[in-house]
Amino acid sequence: MSAQTITTPPPERNEPMTAVAAPEQQARWWESRTARKFANHRLALLGLAMITILTLACFLGPVFLSHDPLWIDLGVRFTPPLTDGFLFGTDPLGRDMLARLLMAGSVSLLVAFSAMFMSTLLGTFVGLVAGYRGGWIGAALMRMVDGFLAFPSIFLLLALAAALKPTPTMVTIIIAITGWMEVARIVEAEVRSLREREFVQAGRMLGLGNWHIMVREILPNAMGPIIVAATLTVARAILLEAYISFLGYGIQPPLPSWGNMLGGAQQYLATAPWLAIIPGVAITIAVTSFNFVGDGLRDALDVRDDKA
Amino acid sequence: MSEHVEPAVPVDPQNDFLVLDDVHTHFDMGKTLLTRESKGVVKAVDGVTLTVREGEILGLVGESGCGKSTLSRTVMQLIRPTSGRIFLEGKELSALSDTEIRKERINFQMIFQDPYASLNPRMTVLDTLSEAIRTRHPNVKGDALRARVAELLRTVGLNPNQMKRYPHEFSGGQRQRVAIARALAPEPKLIIADEPVSALDVSIQSQILNLLKRLTREMGLTMIFISHDLSVVRYIADRIAVMYLGRILELGEASDVVDHPLHIYTRALMSAIPRPDPTSEKTRSRIVLQGDPPSPMNPPEGCNFWPRSPIEHDERMKHEEPILTEIRPNHFATNCPFCVQAAAETEPA
Repeated sequence: MSAQTITTPPPERNEPMTAVAAPEQQARWWESRTARKFANHRLALLGLAMITILTLACFLGPVFLSHDPLWIDLGVRFTPPLTDGFLFGTDPLGRDMLARLLMAGSVSLLVAFSAMFMSTLLGTFVGLVAGYRGGWIGAALMRMVDGFLAFPSIFLLLALAAALKPTPTMVTIIIAITGWMEVARIVEAEVRSLREREFVQAGRMLGLGNWHIMVREILPNAMGPIIVAATLTVARAILLEAYISFLGYGIQPPLPSWGNMLGGAQQYLATAPWLAIIPGVAITIAVTSFNFVGDGLRDALDVRDDKA
Repeated sequence: MSEHVEPAVPVDPQNDFLVLDDVHTHFDMGKTLLTRESKGVVKAVDGVTLTVREGEILGLVGESGCGKSTLSRTVMQLIRPTSGRIFLEGKELSALSDTEIRKERINFQMIFQDPYASLNPRMTVLDTLSEAIRTRHPNVKGDALRARVAELLRTVGLNPNQMKRYPHEFSGGQRQRVAIARALAPEPKLIIADEPVSALDVSIQSQILNLLKRLTREMGLTMIFISHDLSVVRYIADRIAVMYLGRILELGEASDVVDHPLHIYTRALMSAIPRPDPTSEKTRSRIVLQGDPPSPMNPPEGCNFWPRSPIEHDERMKHEEPILTEIRPNHFATNCPFCVQAAAETEPA
C-alpha cells in the first residue's frame, strides 16, 4: 500500500483566516429572531400592551384620581357607573369603584408577581439540582414535587390560608408554595437533557465546579422555558389570589383586592351588578393577557438552539 | 474475562508519559424490573494496554462503536475505568478522588467531535475562553485576560476582533478552532481529539488537521487523535493504534501500520480507502469482512475478530485470548495466528 493512496491535505496557509466578511456589529436584541417572532404574534403583543396599561394604571393611576379608595361616603352609596363624576360608580359604602379597582389591582398584581418570583426561584432551584444531580437526590426531589402536585392545591391553599394570618405577604407565600412544582418539572427535564451536551462535558473537562456548571453553563440555556412558565405562573397566581380572597381567606378588607371586591359584590348581584362585573373584567383581562404573552413567548423561544 | 495475561506491551508507569495499564470500562445495563436478572454488561473498553510518548501524536482508529470514544473519556476521567490503571507523568489518575481530578484537569484537555454541540450557545467566545484560561490563571482579569484571549485566537487562526461573537455566528471550521483554543487555554500537556474533523467539510478538514499538527509540534503537546478514518489518521499521526470491540488489535509506527499492516482487520480497513488514481483504483483488491461488528454486550470469546475474519479460525483461537505481541520491532499485533498470518500471506507485491 503506497502513500499515494492517501489524500494529502494541502499545506496550510499561515495567515489568520478572517471570519465572515461582515462588518463588526453588535447583535441587537430587538433584531433577534426571538424578538421578531414575538412581534409577529398579534395576541401576545395585545397581551403585552394590556399588561403594561394595567400595571401603569394600577401603580401610577391613583395619583391622578380625586377620590380616595378608602374614603367612605354613605351619601353616595350604590352610585351607578358614569354618574356624578364616579366613572365606575360606587360600592355599598360609597367608596369610588375606580380608585378601589386600581388599588386592588396594585395589590393583586404585586401579590401575583411576588408569588411568581418566589415559585420560579424555588422551582428553578429544585429542578436544577434534581436534573443535574440525578441519581437518588434527583429522584427524591422529584418525588417530593410529585407529592406536592398530587395534593389538591385549592384545598392546600384554603387550609393554609385558614390556618395562617392572611396578610398580603402570607398570601403571596401560600400561592408560591402551591405553584413552584410546574417550574421544577420543566427545569428538571431541560437540565437533564442539557447535562449530557458536549459543552457541559467540556466544562467538566476544564475542572469547573458543579455550581459553576449549573449556573453559568446550563441555566442560561434553560431560560426560555423558565420565562414562559414564569409568565403563565403570574396568570395562575392572579386567579389563585382572587380565589382565596373571594372566599374570604385572602387579602382582608379594607385593603381591596380584585378577589375580595368580587366576594363583597355577590349579595348585590341583582341590584348593583357593576360591583361584580368591574373587578371580574379586570381579572379576566389580566389573566388572558398574561396567557397570551406566555403563548407568544413560548412560540418565540421555541428554537432548538440558535444554529446558524 | 479470562485470567489476567501479562501485557506484552512494556509499560513503565513511572517514566512513560501516559500509560494505560489493562484498562476496562464496562457499563452495567442494570437489572430487569421484576426478575432482577442482569440485563448484561457492555464491555466498551475491554483490556487496553498502551503507552503514549511525550510529544507524539497517537492515532486511534476503529469502526463506530468499537469503544474509541469511551476510551478517550476514560483517559480523561469523565468516565472512571471499571478496572485498570491510568498514569499521566507518573501520577495515577485513576486513583485520584473527584476533587483531586478536578485540579488535575488543566493538564489534559479534550477536543470534541461536533463543534456545534461543544460550545455553549449562550456564551461569547470571550466568555468561553476566559473561563478556560482562568482554570490555570484564576487571577487574570480585565485587559490582561482579553490579551490572552486575543493571543489564543491568533494561535488558532481566528481574528481577535471576533471575540465578542456567539458560536452561531461562526462557521463549523471556525467553531472547531474556537474549541481548539479552549482546549489549549488551560495550557495542557495532553490533548485528546475525539474525531475533531469528522463533522467538518472535507475542504475544512485539512486546515484543522494542519492546525492540530502544527500546534502539537510548536507547543510540545502530546495528542491522542481519534478517528474512524484511517486516511486522516495516517496523515497526522506518528503512531497508530487500531481498535476493535474494545481492544487494541495492532499498534505501531504510522508508516509501518499503513504500509505493512499485520492484522487482517487493519488490512481490510486499508483496502477500503479509495485511491485517487483511477488506474490503481480499478485494480484495488478489497478484503471484505463478513457481517457487522458483534455487540460489545456479548463479545465473542478468544480472538474477538474471528466471526468477521475471512480466514477460518480453529477452535483454539475461538476460546484462547490472543495477546498484543511485538511481531516486528516496535510493531505490535494480537498474536492470533490466523488474523496475523493471513495478513502476511496477502502481503501486497
